[in-house]
Amino acid sequence: MSTAMLTFFGLLKGPLYAALGTLAISVLFGLCSADALLASCGAALGWTVRQAIPSGASIAFSSFAAAVATGLYSELVARFRHRPATVYMVSGIVPLVPGGGMYYTMLASVEGKTSQSLEIGMTAIMTAFAVATGLAVANTIDKLVLRPLFEGIGRRSPKVDGDRHNHA
Amino acid sequence: MESEELLLFAADAARMMLENGGETYRAEEIAMRIIASQGGMEPECFATNTGLMLSFAGEDGKVHSVVRRIKHRQMNLEKVSRLAKMAQALATDTMSFDEASSEMDAIERMREHTLSAKVGAGALGAAFFTLLFGGRLLDAGAAVAIGAILELALAAFQRWRLPDFLASLAGGALATLASLAVHYCGLPINTDVTVIGVIMLMVPGVAITNAIRDIIAGDLLAGLARGTDAFLTAAAISSGAGGVMALWRFLLPGVAR
Repeated sequence: MSTAMLTFFGLLKGPLYAALGTLAISVLFGLCSADALLASCGAALGWTVRQAIPSGASIAFSSFAAAVATGLYSELVARFRHRPATVYMVSGIVPLVPGGGMYYTMLASVEGKTSQSLEIGMTAIMTAFAVATGLAVANTIDKLVLRPLFEGIGRRSPKVDGDRHNHA
Repeated sequence: MESEELLLFAADAARMMLENGGETYRAEEIAMRIIASQGGMEPECFATNTGLMLSFAGEDGKVHSVVRRIKHRQMNLEKVSRLAKMAQALATDTMSFDEASSEMDAIERMREHTLSAKVGAGALGAAFFTLLFGGRLLDAGAAVAIGAILELALAAFQRWRLPDFLASLAGGALATLASLAVHYCGLPINTDVTVIGVIMLMVPGVAITNAIRDIIAGDLLAGLARGTDAFLTAAAISSGAGGVMALWRFLLPGVAR
């Protein structure tokens, strides 16, 4: 096998593991098979984006971009499957949650390296916020751009607010 | 239909939404949508992840209201999506109230995945996350066993009604202790990566996602409560892990890895 092919398969490894891990997590979250598969595709997409961001960027930034991708994907799939978008988002972003950051923060603090621990901890918190912000951005893009585009396709949502005032 | 019946039905739908990991605004929305679809007037719902209040005016002009507390939260996204679908069908008149009632019963009684499925998922999930974060096959093998044990323990904690904070604390401690023990027994695993892979099964991804979705939807209080939930879970997991690491170093200073 040529080195180029090896590198290519090396790049595929991350998204594949992310997808398979997310598939397992989705089962723990009680999803049925088709939704679990769709959610893990979202995770694979997110991880691909995360890998594609040049390594010069911070982890927080690449997680942000990944969360935007997973979030948009979830909103789209949710529309076609007539399901709430959270269903796909919740499991799709699990690989992006800074579990490692949490662990290394604790490890450094147990080893007495306080300043290192603070530094890693800050990065972990930043990453968590970046993921959350990424989802928020995806949600906004969905509201402003995708929803008008897909008007009529998929989910019909009678406005509850409107009903409330009409009945009154 | 009796107003009371409608009120309790809508409140239960919202309660189940919140208990199973739905967003707060969605719980409020389905309660109000159910009531509006059956001719209730001025439905208002205020929910957080620990409880909800719901009220509306009946056709006679009387105001009906109910409060529901939410004590136990777990994850079941399938229930969330069926509830959302049911409310949607009611609102668009494609489902009668009686059909919706029996659908609610079906959702309430819906079987969860069996324990063996959960343990299997925990084992595989831990292994793949270990690989994702740079572990080798040996580390993943250890993660399979530890993930299965962790999932069994979490199921037991749930049966004993252990508070979420303590369950996460014990889970983090268990994952770390098991990895260190495997390493101590002579298997040259990378304990860091193994522990991280295993604790990914418990990280508060749901709380982070829903906290931000609630805040965006304008439910600031509910969003903050969920954010706190996420932060506390993360703190509990890492305190559990840190506590065991510190104890291990103290008791076995020579073999600390």
